[in-house]
Amino acid sequence: MSANNMSGPQRVNKIIRYKPPSTEANPTLEDPTPDYMNLLGMIFSMCGLMLKLKWCAWIAVYCSFISFANSRSSEDTKQMMSSFMLSISAVVMSYLQNPQPMSPPW
Amino acid sequence: MYLSLLIFLLLFSSHLSSPLPTCAGTASTMRSVYLLLPALLLLLALPVSRGRYNDDFDDGEDLADFADDNDFAEFEDVSEDTAAEPETAPPPRVAPPAQPAEDDEDEATVELEEDGQEDGFEDSDTQDQDMYSKYDPDEFDGMEKPSQSLKDPLIIHTTYFLNCTLTTKKNIPLKCDYYMEILMVTGLLAYIMNYIIGKNKNSRLATAWFNSHRELLESNFALVGDDGTSKDAVSTGKLNQENEHIYNLWCSGRVCCEGMLIQLKFVKRQDLLNVLARMMRPVCDQVQIKVTLNDEDMDTFVFAVGTKKAMARMQKEMQDLSEFCSDKPKSGAKYGLPELLAILTEMGEVTDGVMDSKMVHYITNHADKIESIHFSDQFSGAKVVQEDGQPLKLPETKKTLLFTFNVPGMGNTSPKDMDTLLPLMNMVIYSIDKVKKLRLNREGKQKADKNRARVEENFLKQTHNQRQEAAQTRREEKKRAEKERIMSEEDPERQRRLEEAAQRRDQKKIEKKQMKMKQIKVKAM
Repeated sequence: MSANNMSGPQRVNKIIRYKPPSTEANPTLEDPTPDYMNLLGMIFSMCGLMLKLKWCAWIAVYCSFISFANSRSSEDTKQMMSSFMLSISAVVMSYLQNPQPMSPPW
Repeated sequence: MYLSLLIFLLLFSSHLSSPLPTCAGTASTMRSVYLLLPALLLLLALPVSRGRYNDDFDDGEDLADFADDNDFAEFEDVSEDTAAEPETAPPPRVAPPAQPAEDDEDEATVELEEDGQEDGFEDSDTQDQDMYSKYDPDEFDGMEKPSQSLKDPLIIHTTYFLNCTLTTKKNIPLKCDYYMEILMVTGLLAYIMNYIIGKNKNSRLATAWFNSHRELLESNFALVGDDGTSKDAVSTGKLNQENEHIYNLWCSGRVCCEGMLIQLKFVKRQDLLNVLARMMRPVCDQVQIKVTLNDEDMDTFVFAVGTKKAMARMQKEMQDLSEFCSDKPKSGAKYGLPELLAILTEMGEVTDGVMDSKMVHYITNHADKIESIHFSDQFSGAKVVQEDGQPLKLPETKKTLLFTFNVPGMGNTSPKDMDTLLPLMNMVIYSIDKVKKLRLNREGKQKADKNRARVEENFLKQTHNQRQEAAQTRREEKKRAEKERIMSEEDPERQRRLEEAAQRRDQKKIEKKQMKMKQIKVKAM
């Protein structure tokens, strides 16, 4: 019983700590979706604000939601929140300037 | 309404400025809270924006409207200072600076102002009338006639919005002009619902996998679960959540290997777009296992077995498979494997060594779950595509065993399906021990060494031209820099001296080259 504590294959002296794989080495393996969606969201919300297009602002809101859903947990939440706020402010501003309902494209 | 919005934003910003918790569990709940709060803000903001006044008005005139009704007599501060501060209009309304003594006076002034502002009001009246002309007067039979409130845009807008949701006496729904907005908000709510449901499902699947595999892992590894941040090497005993759909587990502390990284790559159930895309093209959840070995744990060989599609793809993509296993994938039937599996190998001896009866048994029984199995001592990942030709250095290699398993269910997995992956983990452990014992005979070893030398030589040849070009450009750069330095020297004396020095150096170099050529000629002779 007391003879061999290491009866199994475990070896405490062979423990190596976890090193998260560096992302610079393999940028192709990373999912680019959250970054693209973030960028798209910002572009659409700027379009919606400048050109007063309601549908742009709504698409911006969707883009920032999609970016949030796909984002990594290591990413900065402030970035996410700022894109959220920008898209929501685009929607609100479009409706403030023109409270008429959105007309469908068909 | 504005006050509540402002308070919300203030709370938010204070929340963001405080340090966020680093624990994985609370971070994910925080994220869902962060998701819900903007949605709530959005829903709050829309009725506010619809109830807003027209651009033509400023708040001074609006207060004049209110002053009509005696109820709002307290809020009559119709003087110019209220017009100058439109943003503080709500607070004065909420906290009334009561001036009952000035009522009559103010009413009088209000009336005067009203008369004076008739022109200003006309616009709003005609606008309101336009809106109401769309509707039948009969429709308002059951409702109070909004006579006085015609002048109040806030009430107009809200009744307009409310009308969309009411029906007439004849039970025909009114043409609601805001249906696109309602559609959008419904879509957003659906997205949020799907996010929460998908996230929970992935989390449950990960927990189920870990619970069924925990015992096996703990009996094989001294360290199960590590995020690399804690000071001591203590098992965390839980998965690292990288994403809402990717979970990692690092195990270490075993004979025959350095460590094992397990990645549970689930399908993106939290993203509605992905869910819809999966309806067109079903995708599996995957479990990827990467075992890194020490130099003494593995002999020099490259081998892969998996589905035909996966083998074809990997042969093109993976650096080591494309260099060492240049033959087309052979069918697995020769070694007793099912037809759908193919084998890529450096030499036949390796396949015979790896495919012993137990491995064949494992693979045959679970062929539907195996995507690929890749053993390599020259593993360096996928081929790196560089724009300017080949990379100048050989990529770093590591002795690795890679396993990719498909979770049964094709996306519609339940936590119970995770138990079916347990025998595959047993196969992984068996492979680690087997690879340690597998040694090539002398012939095989020679062949393997020759292959590696060949690959290195090819690489050097291909990059030779590039390296020469790089050296040439470097030399030219140096010369140019020196010339510039000479030219920029203001003192003519110094210039001359530097030029002479450069000329002398060039002469020396030419002489050296000539000497070398002579020596080579002599040696050749």
